[in-house]
Amino acid sequence: MTTTDIPVQAARAQSPEPSRKPRGKREREGAAWVFLSPWVLGAVVLTLLPMAVSLYLSFTDYDLFNAPRWVGFRNYVQMFTEDPRYWRSVGATLTYVVIAVPLQLALALAVALALKSMRRGKAFYRSAFYAPSLLGASMSIALVWRAVFNDGGTVDNVLSGMGVHTGGWVNKPGWALLAVALLTVWQFGAPMVIFLAGLQQIPAELYEAAAVDGASRRRQFISITLPMLSPVLFFNLVLQTIQAFQVFTPAFAVSGGKGGPADSTLFYTLYLYDRGFVASHMGYASAMAWVLLIAIGAVTAVLFRTSRSWVFYANEGER
Amino acid sequence: MAAVLTLGVLLTGCGGSDESSGGGKTVLRYTWWGNPDRAARTHEAVALFEKEHPGITVQTSFAGYEAYKQKLATQAAGGDAPDVMQLDYRQIDQYASGGILLDLGKQKKALRTDEIDAGLLATGVVDGTQYAIPQGRGTETVVYDAKQWKAAGVALPRNGWTWDDWADAMRELAKKTGKPGSVDPGQSEDCFEVWLRGQGKTLYTQDRELGFTADDLTRWWTFTDKLRREGAVSAAEQTTQLDGTVENQPLARGKAVSDFNWDAPASGFTPIVGEGLTLGPMPSGTNGTPGQYFKPSMFMGAAATSEHPEESAAFIDFMINDEKAAKILGASRGIPVNEPIRDAIGPGLKDFDKTIADYQDSVDGKLEAPPQAPPSGDNALQTTFGRDYDQVSFEQMSPREAAEDFITEAKAEVRS
Repeated sequence: MTTTDIPVQAARAQSPEPSRKPRGKREREGAAWVFLSPWVLGAVVLTLLPMAVSLYLSFTDYDLFNAPRWVGFRNYVQMFTEDPRYWRSVGATLTYVVIAVPLQLALALAVALALKSMRRGKAFYRSAFYAPSLLGASMSIALVWRAVFNDGGTVDNVLSGMGVHTGGWVNKPGWALLAVALLTVWQFGAPMVIFLAGLQQIPAELYEAAAVDGASRRRQFISITLPMLSPVLFFNLVLQTIQAFQVFTPAFAVSGGKGGPADSTLFYTLYLYDRGFVASHMGYASAMAWVLLIAIGAVTAVLFRTSRSWVFYANEGER
Repeated sequence: MAAVLTLGVLLTGCGGSDESSGGGKTVLRYTWWGNPDRAARTHEAVALFEKEHPGITVQTSFAGYEAYKQKLATQAAGGDAPDVMQLDYRQIDQYASGGILLDLGKQKKALRTDEIDAGLLATGVVDGTQYAIPQGRGTETVVYDAKQWKAAGVALPRNGWTWDDWADAMRELAKKTGKPGSVDPGQSEDCFEVWLRGQGKTLYTQDRELGFTADDLTRWWTFTDKLRREGAVSAAEQTTQLDGTVENQPLARGKAVSDFNWDAPASGFTPIVGEGLTLGPMPSGTNGTPGQYFKPSMFMGAAATSEHPEESAAFIDFMINDEKAAKILGASRGIPVNEPIRDAIGPGLKDFDKTIADYQDSVDGKLEAPPQAPPSGDNALQTTFGRDYDQVSFEQMSPREAAEDFITEAKAEVRS
């Protein structure tokens, strides 16, 4: 839902600037509209309008075939009180977010730190580690993942070779979610590149001063790197959390669209899709979508709240 | 997600195609679901139709059942249903009441129905109107690898065997072969229905209410769950991977000796199982009441919005009543419903087509009438059924708890 800010920007961009030549202003305004039209059209037709329709549909019973029937809050009530599978999907999604996001950020930070101190081949490794982020969202990688973690797949074989017999991961509840989470963790390239940029912003003299004072590497990391990096860390955390809540493709592919085994990978979006397109309850699915939107908004707001106590902005001292 | 969800709905609304007259020719769109074998035979039949009707071109497209179902629903909602479409028993009610389907009763000139068994033809009637024509006849079956089964020295499936006989055979097979005798039927609503009918009950009543209770479902799941624990049917890890394709059934993976399926799609096992592939009757109730039934394996319907209703009807007529077409199609969509044609092509059937025909002959006349078309909510309940059983087979819920969950959702589905 990050695209919703487009119309706001568009509106801002064409807001009248103080000008002394009315005609020139009008001409410029016209030109602005011409250039903006693709975005304005896109925002209205592809984002705002469908959102309005979906909000309306969330209060209806709509099966795609017959006209939507107004049912008030029934979809919402049913979701919270009569649908055990809904809560299972909420549980699966939360578990996934709590596992995948911290693991991914930790790995991204670790690799970024290692790359930072590297003298040669930095560009190569940076690209190599970034590659999975480009591939990761695709269906094909998710299918490969399914094969790798299946019965007799690579992971099973390698672990068996080491004397650990796990069998296939994708057909065991608990393990399947871990396999999907690992697919996300593996795509740590995007946050890593941002961490790397953040690390390079930290003034070298801070480390030099600390070294002169006899601070250990660990001390330097805790007292300099982490605080100086906290805005970037916060940025990555918010972004990855929002993305994790909306994860769909890997779970869809790894579980064959069913969210199995035993609903363990039935993520929110997967269940939403299932309700809408498999069970033909578009009204219910729309209601689910709105609850998700509000939930993500709430989680983000909480993150922003807590950020005050741990995110350090270098210019804060000047205020 | 909210935006994405409605986007699909809106976009299909703008897709009204103007391709219905390509170069002075009438163009019909025809969609169906199926496997590559069915596709090859369908294309051959369509080519023959185009040769006989030089003014008509038929554009075809097909997909797997799940994908097809979702695509067709979106197209239909956008007012862009294909001229001719293949429909499942579970879809007819929804499509007919949604005004998607053409009244085929008004197309009698182009579409003959007098050679189709009246009972079977009536399955395409909703609220007194003939919205769809059954295209083939199918029934459920225990499909098994006779080589392994015989080598184990266990008595083969036979007419009138009961679910208890079947369970004993599965236990014995598991003991002798070292692998489960069958796929776990607990995940299949179809198998449950056969078991239920064997006791004189039905999935749905005449008034489209649920025909069974949580007690019935608890007994069924307790029965299958016990067999799973004994290793007589497939383990939860295998069962959860079922997705409707034969390739993922335990029989095809070499993880079981037999499988439950419909007779026509069981042809997909031939390249994997080989020569020994055999069809046997479904188990019946303790007093011998058969649970399985002949049902229309699929229907053909035309779109109410079609610009060429007569040509569409003519095409349906060709697919169902033309002997040359029937010879090409064989039993790929089930045994033909047109009786003279069934008799005419019967002796010429080869390979697995003949296996299906022989199997249907062996149970013909012994089965009870098919139930009426299930209410539209059943479409979704099929998936729910398997999901709830997953909770049982992975031992996260008792059969009773899962059954209560299912009944709650089923009641909501049937109500809406």
